[in-house]
Amino acid sequence: MNANIVLNPGVKQKDPSRALVIAVSSHAMFELGGELKLHLQKVKQEPEPKSTVKDNEPFREGIAFPFIKAVQQVNKKLLEKNANEMLLFDVILFSNDVSPASQSRVVNSALHYDLEIGRFCFCSDKDFAASLQSNHVKLFLSTDTDEVGKALKEGFPAALLYQQRGQGTTDTLRVLFSGDVLGFSDDMAHFLREQGFSEPQLQSISTAKGAMKEFATVIGEMRRRFGREGSPLCTCLVTVWTPRDACAGALKMLRGWGLEVDEAFCLAGAPQSPILAQIQPHILYDHGLHNARNVPAQC
Amino acid sequence: MSEIKPIAAGNNAAADTGEERDWAAAKAFFDSLKTRKPRPPKPQYAVTIAVSSRTLFDMTKERQIYEEEGVEKYVSHQQEHEDEPLKPGAAFPFVKALMTVNTRLRELYPDCEELFDIVLMTNNHAQVGVRLINSINHYDLTIERFCMTGGKSPIGYLKAYMTNLYLSKDSEKVQEAIEQGIAAATMFTPDTEVQLSDTQLRVAFDGDAVLFSDESEIIVKQHGLDTFFEHEKKYENKPLAQGPLKCFLEALGKLQRKFYARNERMSCPIRTYLVTARSAASSGARVLKTLRSWGLEVDEALFLAGAPKGPLLQKIRPHIFFDDQMFHIEGAKELGTIAAHVPYGIGQKYHKGKLIEQTPKK
Repeated sequence: MNANIVLNPGVKQKDPSRALVIAVSSHAMFELGGELKLHLQKVKQEPEPKSTVKDNEPFREGIAFPFIKAVQQVNKKLLEKNANEMLLFDVILFSNDVSPASQSRVVNSALHYDLEIGRFCFCSDKDFAASLQSNHVKLFLSTDTDEVGKALKEGFPAALLYQQRGQGTTDTLRVLFSGDVLGFSDDMAHFLREQGFSEPQLQSISTAKGAMKEFATVIGEMRRRFGREGSPLCTCLVTVWTPRDACAGALKMLRGWGLEVDEAFCLAGAPQSPILAQIQPHILYDHGLHNARNVPAQC
Repeated sequence: MSEIKPIAAGNNAAADTGEERDWAAAKAFFDSLKTRKPRPPKPQYAVTIAVSSRTLFDMTKERQIYEEEGVEKYVSHQQEHEDEPLKPGAAFPFVKALMTVNTRLRELYPDCEELFDIVLMTNNHAQVGVRLINSINHYDLTIERFCMTGGKSPIGYLKAYMTNLYLSKDSEKVQEAIEQGIAAATMFTPDTEVQLSDTQLRVAFDGDAVLFSDESEIIVKQHGLDTFFEHEKKYENKPLAQGPLKCFLEALGKLQRKFYARNERMSCPIRTYLVTARSAASSGARVLKTLRSWGLEVDEALFLAGAPKGPLLQKIRPHIFFDDQMFHIEGAKELGTIAAHVPYGIGQKYHKGKLIEQTPKK
């Protein structure tokens, strides 16, 4: 496997067996600009075009900034309660298409903004899933629905980083779970088939429930460190298609896994964009059912 | 696009197709359910009524625990009693009446989306929500949509759900909603229980500062009744400006016309009343002409010429009565009418005709 792991000298490394490791796409964290064009054209082997920008100039802030700030707030509050806390967020930055010359620029940008990013993983496209695995990543996040879809296709749990309006929420981390995935049942499979979903796709939704359980259990444990009010970590449940009983069922299911969600919304077919615009989550975990609109086939 | 909804549909083509797909999926799911429960209507065509948990159910005891012992004890208490259904609240009869109208509409128009859509809009914690959903199940209420905001203000969600009317026990939230252009009222539980119709939804409205703006009421308060009468006579043919509940009356009228179209005027399950302190002789004409200019009707217009509203409302037995003045709300409550206060206009600064001392806001 060809991957370049760079540790962030400014951040104390966390224990990956206890921390919740989340990988974020570097495209979400910074505006990589020219790098993005390079990625789209797949000209990684070509010599680096002459850049007028200095190597150390930091990239501009990306859509993931409110997310990382909110994560830092959660970690800070966790450590305030218990200085020896091991259950913390461990954010690593993932790039599978950044040119070698720009890798140091990515690292320097993180240092410049004083971001709590533990390590940087630069790997190739084909090593993407394997690299996530070897870094104990529990969830991959991107603002790009294609990137999310790609990770899901490789069988890796992934969720969308929702683009918040304005400066975004930075004092609370808001995590949204899809009740439609959690409530996935034979009844639902039947009607999804009629909607045009294939068997492999249905199979992958069924499996996604398991990955969601793992993540929800850890989030639940973190959430329990705080009280009902004033928590820096806030969890939401949203069902878009299924009726109120399915939403109630999902609430109880999550509670059974140790996560007592703070907010719940049952849309029953009402338009979800205006509701999401009110909820303003950072992480939107729905296995591509609604937002990536691209549920992967089970491989 | 239905005129019932004040908010325009999205102009993002991709979002719209996504919305259509989500709507079709939800519709298909409901239609395939083994239970024959009616599916919720398409929000942009429905008359959306948002009710808070404390108006739908009687949560006085629980509210006391919240206020005296704090949120942790309150949520734990609700969880411990999750399987005990809550008792009906002030808005419960109104919700049941809305369901009756929907049943009649579905009989006449089986595939129609122009129905009442009842949404539970609460800033309760989602864990309390389990007890709320269990209670909704117990009474078999057709409430499929809800927002449990876990402490945050529900106002933004009201707009997101294209709400036509918001009912709450919290007057601050109601005020905020009105300021955002959403019809809203604070509900009060009557002192005695009264037998209401279970075949017809009855909605009673005060006129000034409810259906109409408070422009004329300002004249009464500041210049007295005589000036008011002269003014109203002079401007008889000039329509009054609209008040916060005008659009809700409009929505009711639209649904009523669906019954009239099928020759069901005599057995229409919606009846509207105007109950105003104005008198028919001097100031009533302007009100009727204003309604006519808006293309709206009320089934009964009752001009009290200053007499108390309580006894008349007792006869009407509305499922809800909207008024802007607490004096009238209290009078209605005493005689068993379910009253809802609309905190709008000059009437908020007065009590029984006297200017209230303005206490500075905390």
